[in-house]
Amino acid sequence: MLEIRGLEAAHGDVPALSGVTLRVAAGEIVALLGPNGAGKSTLLGCVAGLVRPRAGAISWDGENLLAVAPHRIVERGLAVVPEGRRLFGSMTVEDNLDLGAFSPRARAARRESLERVFALFPDLRSRRRQIVHALSGGQQQMVAVGRALMASPRLLMLDEPSLGIAPLLVRRILDALVEINRAGVAVFLVEQNVRAALTLAHRAYILEGGRVVGEGEGPALLRDAHVRRAYLGPLAAGERDA
Amino acid sequence: MTILAQQIVLGLLLGGLYGLAAAGLSLVFGVLKVLNVAHGELIMLGGYGAYWLFALLGLDPFASLLLVIPGSLLLGAALFLALFGFVVRAPEETRIKNSLLVGFGLALALHALAVRLFTADDRSISTGYGGAVITVGPIAIPVIRLASLLVALALIAALHLLLARWRWGKAIRATAEDWQAARLTGIDIRRAYLLAFAFGTALAGAAGTLVSVGYSISPSIGLEWTLKALIVVVLAGLGSMLGTFAAGLFVGVAEALSAAAFGGPYREVIGLVIFLVVLVLRPQGLFGRAR
Amino acid sequence: MTTERAWTLGILLALALLAFLPLVAPRDDVLNFVFLVLLSITLAQSWNIIAGYAGQVNLGHAAFFGLGALTARTLWIAGTPVVAAMAAGAAVATAFALLIGAAAFRLRGAYFAIGTLALGEILRTTVGNALPEISTLPAASIGAYRLAPRYYLALALAALSVLAVAGLARSRLGLGMVAVREDEGAAEATGVSALALKLRALALSTALAGAAGGLFAYYHISYYPSHPFGPGWTFDALLMTFIGGVGTLHGPVLGAVLYVFLKEYLTVRWVDFHLLIFGVLFIAIVLLFPGGLVQALIQAGNGARRWMARRRGATT
Repeated sequence: MLEIRGLEAAHGDVPALSGVTLRVAAGEIVALLGPNGAGKSTLLGCVAGLVRPRAGAISWDGENLLAVAPHRIVERGLAVVPEGRRLFGSMTVEDNLDLGAFSPRARAARRESLERVFALFPDLRSRRRQIVHALSGGQQQMVAVGRALMASPRLLMLDEPSLGIAPLLVRRILDALVEINRAGVAVFLVEQNVRAALTLAHRAYILEGGRVVGEGEGPALLRDAHVRRAYLGPLAAGERDA
Repeated sequence: MTILAQQIVLGLLLGGLYGLAAAGLSLVFGVLKVLNVAHGELIMLGGYGAYWLFALLGLDPFASLLLVIPGSLLLGAALFLALFGFVVRAPEETRIKNSLLVGFGLALALHALAVRLFTADDRSISTGYGGAVITVGPIAIPVIRLASLLVALALIAALHLLLARWRWGKAIRATAEDWQAARLTGIDIRRAYLLAFAFGTALAGAAGTLVSVGYSISPSIGLEWTLKALIVVVLAGLGSMLGTFAAGLFVGVAEALSAAAFGGPYREVIGLVIFLVVLVLRPQGLFGRAR
Repeated sequence: MTTERAWTLGILLALALLAFLPLVAPRDDVLNFVFLVLLSITLAQSWNIIAGYAGQVNLGHAAFFGLGALTARTLWIAGTPVVAAMAAGAAVATAFALLIGAAAFRLRGAYFAIGTLALGEILRTTVGNALPEISTLPAASIGAYRLAPRYYLALALAALSVLAVAGLARSRLGLGMVAVREDEGAAEATGVSALALKLRALALSTALAGAAGGLFAYYHISYYPSHPFGPGWTFDALLMTFIGGVGTLHGPVLGAVLYVFLKEYLTVRWVDFHLLIFGVLFIAIVLLFPGGLVQALIQAGNGARRWMARRRGATT
């Protein structure tokens, strides 16, 4: 579905991505891991139309995504949950969700989508008329995921959804992602919480210094020595997988 | 005492127009992050539109709102496509500065055009019911100015509802808050900008119509009204149409009080002084959120 | 020699030649016209310092022009020699600028612009209310009015403004200003005090504007005291500087000459039409040609050089 080939991007003069190639197929959960500054957010930015790459190709269902106007990307079936959520803080939960279904295709299915979001995140139903910036970080993250879901996407992309969220809520959000995936939506997850990401991902890529340095199936990578050393650290006695 | 009360009432009535004038400017500034200093000239043009509809066709100014408002909408759209649409391509810092300069050139051009077309004379619409007055105790309320206040309030309320309920109204608010996130959710932000600018101009045109019937217009009122609108916007901060209207009323009353205290000629100065003080101490205004 | 240096010398030479004009063509209308050009050059250069070099768009510039005029007029009519009166005018303008400067520079970008706009209007209205009567020279002075001293003062002031900008461009102060204009945060990080620089730019700018105001007061026989405080003077300075090329040395001079010529040529038949043209020209420059005439000349020069090179290349 999503194919990225030889992507190169820079922030001014500083190179951020050098020849990145990866794919996400229908129904998969793919994780993108790596340290801070590896270029993960830049990659997502290129796909979402926020960042203009210097070279390379991004294709979605065979169509050149780089030729599509940024606000039309949602119509094609890709939805983004950006880093830091980027919600419309002064508007209500309901308004934010409503705006998620802005594209014509999504608007038609608006009522069903809303029900599905409330079913996934029951907390939001009772808070639908609350102003978003009054909610907690975790609740806001739920709104952000919900807003992206309202677009009826076939691929959901998330940039660091666990950042700054209480572990219990992180669990809930990740569980929701699994459910969303089971309903047929592919998930592309950029995450720093490597253990959590690898537990639910089918496949994962490891990005370091703007290059793909590793690729494999989730469980396999969890056992990989380099990954364990670089990202997981020793399991303390009694520590449970996040 | 009665004189003071009378002045306050008149100030309130004028303040409603200040609020209407400011609402358009606030919408444009909030959404496009563009400071259109030609806003006063757009008000002036609206006034002349109503004036000529009255002088040539005998159309009642309140009825001519039905023509002036759509006309101003189209003018706003045209100005965005021809001019401000280019200004918004720059990043925010440069954008505000450029918009100031472009607006300045536009104001100059529109003012000169108006002088050529309409001469520099003051004009005012005198309808048959122009002198009508409602008396509440010792206070006389001119009917036209009262009607203008109500029209202004109605327009602001309508805008508020539009922004709150209409799909594109919400899109406009979203664009104002975070245009990148808005784009991610599929909103065509250029269209949001176009709509906001058109609505802003429409409000200016309406304000101009009300000024031409309740007061008077000339090609030179542009700067004066731009400053008034700026004062109210800075006082109210961005984000609330109703808050802007309230700030307009406040400025109207403040002017009336200062005229009573310091004498008529200093009426203008008090508003500007309040403006400067608020600007320096609290750039986000009284109702606005801190940036 | 750099282009700017060449232009500086050229302009100063032209000004020196103009010193002979009253001897060659002692016609009042010619001298009045050139006087206007010289005054405009000074006004434009004064605004250029704060806006072009320091990057702060001051929309209340007329306030300082007006303060200079008011001070100089009052002192001169009371008997002070005119040069001292003009200097006092400049001093008062600068003093006021420094007084409000610290507060004013708390405002950034557009807010500084509209803040100074409001300030200018406050001063204009206040002076208009306090001194509503026209200011006219006493009869004896009108009888003794000579254009020549005013002409030479204008010449001197214009030359001074050009030299001031030329000196500024190459000085540490000037370079600091440009650094602050381009990226204030970065400049501050290298130890530059942005506020101090802006204040010094403002001081220089308003001193020149105040002196120009004094010149205005010396030149006109009668005018309303609030007139020099009017926004038209700020706008004139803005237009001339931008159209000529803001932030350059010779831009404001070119802009001033063009502006006064066009205004004179158009005013006869078309009242205020020159403003319509300049308004449109201004917009075009802001959007398409931010460097103004100076940029246009540079590009034309490059184009001509390329054309010449190609011609030479084709014939060999």
